[in-house]
Amino acid sequence: MSNHIAFLAEFADGQPARSALELAAGATELATAAGGAAVGFAYGPGARSGGAGLGAAGASQVVVLGDQAAPAITMAGPLAAAVGELQPRVLLVPATPNGRDLAAALVGLLELPAFGPARAATFDGGKLRVEQATLQGTVITVNEPVEGAPQPAVVMVLANTFTPLEGGTGTAEVRDAPAAGESAFARATITESHPAEAAVVNLEEATVIVAGGRGVGSEAGFAPLHDLAAALGGAVGASRAAADAGWVPYQLQIGQTGKVVKPALYLGIGISGAIQHRVGMQTAENVVAINKDPDAPIGEFADLFVVGDLFAIVPKLTDEINRRKGR
Amino acid sequence: MKIVVTVKQVPATTAEKRYTADLRLDRASTESIVNPLDEYAIEQALRLQESGAVAEVAYLSMGPESAAEALRRALAMGGEEAYLVTDDALAGADEWATARVLAAALDKLAPDVALMGMASDDARGSLVPGAVAAIRGVPLLSYGSELSLGDGVARVRRLTATGFDIVEAPLPVVASVTDQVGEPRYASLKGIMAAKRKTLETWSLADLGLDADAIHGAALTRVVEARPPEAKPPTERIENLGADEAATKIADWLAARKLI
Repeated sequence: MSNHIAFLAEFADGQPARSALELAAGATELATAAGGAAVGFAYGPGARSGGAGLGAAGASQVVVLGDQAAPAITMAGPLAAAVGELQPRVLLVPATPNGRDLAAALVGLLELPAFGPARAATFDGGKLRVEQATLQGTVITVNEPVEGAPQPAVVMVLANTFTPLEGGTGTAEVRDAPAAGESAFARATITESHPAEAAVVNLEEATVIVAGGRGVGSEAGFAPLHDLAAALGGAVGASRAAADAGWVPYQLQIGQTGKVVKPALYLGIGISGAIQHRVGMQTAENVVAINKDPDAPIGEFADLFVVGDLFAIVPKLTDEINRRKGR
Repeated sequence: MKIVVTVKQVPATTAEKRYTADLRLDRASTESIVNPLDEYAIEQALRLQESGAVAEVAYLSMGPESAAEALRRALAMGGEEAYLVTDDALAGADEWATARVLAAALDKLAPDVALMGMASDDARGSLVPGAVAAIRGVPLLSYGSELSLGDGVARVRRLTATGFDIVEAPLPVVASVTDQVGEPRYASLKGIMAAKRKTLETWSLADLGLDADAIHGAALTRVVEARPPEAKPPTERIENLGADEAATKIADWLAARKLI
């Protein structure tokens, strides 16, 4: 057993995902408390060439699981081998579909305790404590491994739980994961890959999200939301109603069956705030809602609730923000 | 071709929930339903059966005896038979223990596809499909917005961060699907009557060749504290203002928080 804290780092085109930088910061924080080092388990295209760069994000070592374009789940075998070699106390994974798949495989392969989706993870008197919102956010629980539980504890971490370190300059030492045995997970293959549709950004990477719902009314109705998002340097998201109606692609859906986001600022425009949407955004730091219905449920949990006509207010708000930014 | 859909009984989405003094969900106090996300898996399985790609659809659940209700509701939508694993030793089971038990039951049922919802409405860890696949040593096809079968392979359409992939693996597999597979059907009155006559078998841990030790006494994790979410400051409201004024106020609010 080591006191190292490992984290999963997904790469594309040689660049780490934002989640990798956040988890590197989280692992660094926990490693300082545990008396170990932050170690990245990197995978995806360019993970080997880009791995050393995680040093600036806090990692002292990076273990490369694989750097080919393949379903993330095919990295389960190398991940288990890397965990076996390093024996970390904790493994942080992003609470994204890929992160969850790999966490699940590891839990099944190695019989490990699993936590999350977590909104905080700390060491308290040498004990891991993980805080999570459960039952649609109505209860906050603090969880820990039972006495004598096997290690590592696998923690699925929500986006924006940790803040990437800034101004780091270190270089991580990069090595390959030990050879893994045959794994059934490796039998999944991508037979077709369809890249981004126009105007689709990765919501999990966004720190400002302008989300539209049923009240936006049409695909054209989203245009002012795109303008507002651009003014704020953010991304456009949507409720399931808007995605089901075909006004935006499903990749932009926030909620129980879409993305779970935790931006610094979330603006809900024409979104009623049903529980299925709320569970996808309730950990946003600041929630602003604009809705013509003064009784919309979102008005009960927004920080700022504006009752009014979104089509009149949103363009004015965009202009006002651009004016203040001197544009 | 046989599909087994796993079904979890969960508290109704909008029900009031609380934890008991021993930090477990007080299930006695709430109305229970079929996990809404499992209904999409049921719908996908039944569509594949209707298209002729699948001969048999069965259901599997793990939970208290009352979870039989959830299985009856699934049978009312369609399918042939259902199995419930229930055992006092399973109270408080975590993801690994749940996956271990489901995997043992699936070993007995030997489906070509073990099909699951993408998450449970209550816990939302989404770990069970991958953990079951790991324990059974079969491939995982997760988060499918559509599942298709043919030529000894299963295939899912899976959204990526910004686009989508088609991912394929040889049978047998564990697969999970999202709400994009299509709206779940309602159970007809005829379906509800028919469900009462369908086989619903109950298994104990011993029936699966497991005991409490084999599942680490049900959990490797424990809840040490359960509390309501932090009280947020009351919502500030802007009402009855013209668009210009409202926009200025919103901008002021954002600026005060250094968000612009």
